[in-house]
Amino acid sequence: MTVSELITKADLEIVNLADAEREIVGGYTGDLLSFVMGNVETDNVWVTIMTNTNIVAVASLADVGCIVITEAEELPNETVESAKLRNINILKTKRNSYEMCAILAGFGI
Amino acid sequence: MRELSLNILDISMNSVKAGATEILIELIENETDLVFKIVDNGKGMTKEFQKTVTDPFTTSRKTRKVGLGLPFLKLAAEQTGGSLTISSKTKDESTDGSHGTEVVASFKKTSIDFTPLGDITSTIVTLVQGSPEIDFVYHHKVGETSIKLDTKELVEVLGDRSMLTAPEVLMWISESLNEQYDSIGYIKY
Repeated sequence: MTVSELITKADLEIVNLADAEREIVGGYTGDLLSFVMGNVETDNVWVTIMTNTNIVAVASLADVGCIVITEAEELPNETVESAKLRNINILKTKRNSYEMCAILAGFGI
Repeated sequence: MRELSLNILDISMNSVKAGATEILIELIENETDLVFKIVDNGKGMTKEFQKTVTDPFTTSRKTRKVGLGLPFLKLAAEQTGGSLTISSKTKDESTDGSHGTEVVASFKKTSIDFTPLGDITSTIVTLVQGSPEIDFVYHHKVGETSIKLDTKELVEVLGDRSMLTAPEVLMWISESLNEQYDSIGYIKY
């Protein structure tokens, strides 16, 4: 499934869309960034509640397909700007991480 | 990171890489706060580099564009309501010839997001084992009591610095620290 299909099917809000046609392969969820850094895989969708600019660094380092921020309100400007600069896909939803992962699992991701 | 001791290991490794010959790791703790300070006499950071060092896209490594030790530590401290401060000077900026870096991280232990100290003994043993040429001073003040290790004193007793990496010496360091912690009933997790 591509990022753009994911946005439509799961009704996600766009924070930064750098590569809509990127193919998502598998997923990971976690909020302890050092842990995520060691475990998330390339092309994964990463589900997290964290919004600090460090998430962009982790996503860039691990080359994740897209970040989905759950229970999301407004994101820090710094994070959005950083994501634009580094071409990181970031989406958000009001759902919690459990609900989001259940939906992803339903898509066969 | 899951334990503060891993942050301490990570930040101390910066001091090792900066060519320090002395590294002081000091923790000051009471009922509500924990402050740790890592002071080295390494090459220091320029004012320019210092400004960007908590930006996750800055690093002293050449192989990747992001360095996350200090940004993660800042996040961990701020999540509890604490803070991170860094002061540093290079040889060129120094008026008295001294140079090096001081990282101070303060944590509110009462915050639900406070990460426990964890296995600090292993952190210290790992540092000594990896860099026996460096003088490490570890000092953890808990209220009125304190836990100490000074590898310079150890070298004086042993008579030979290379002895620091002998398994029985490392074992002694580990046991000594654990005994000191046990004697005050300290809970690391």
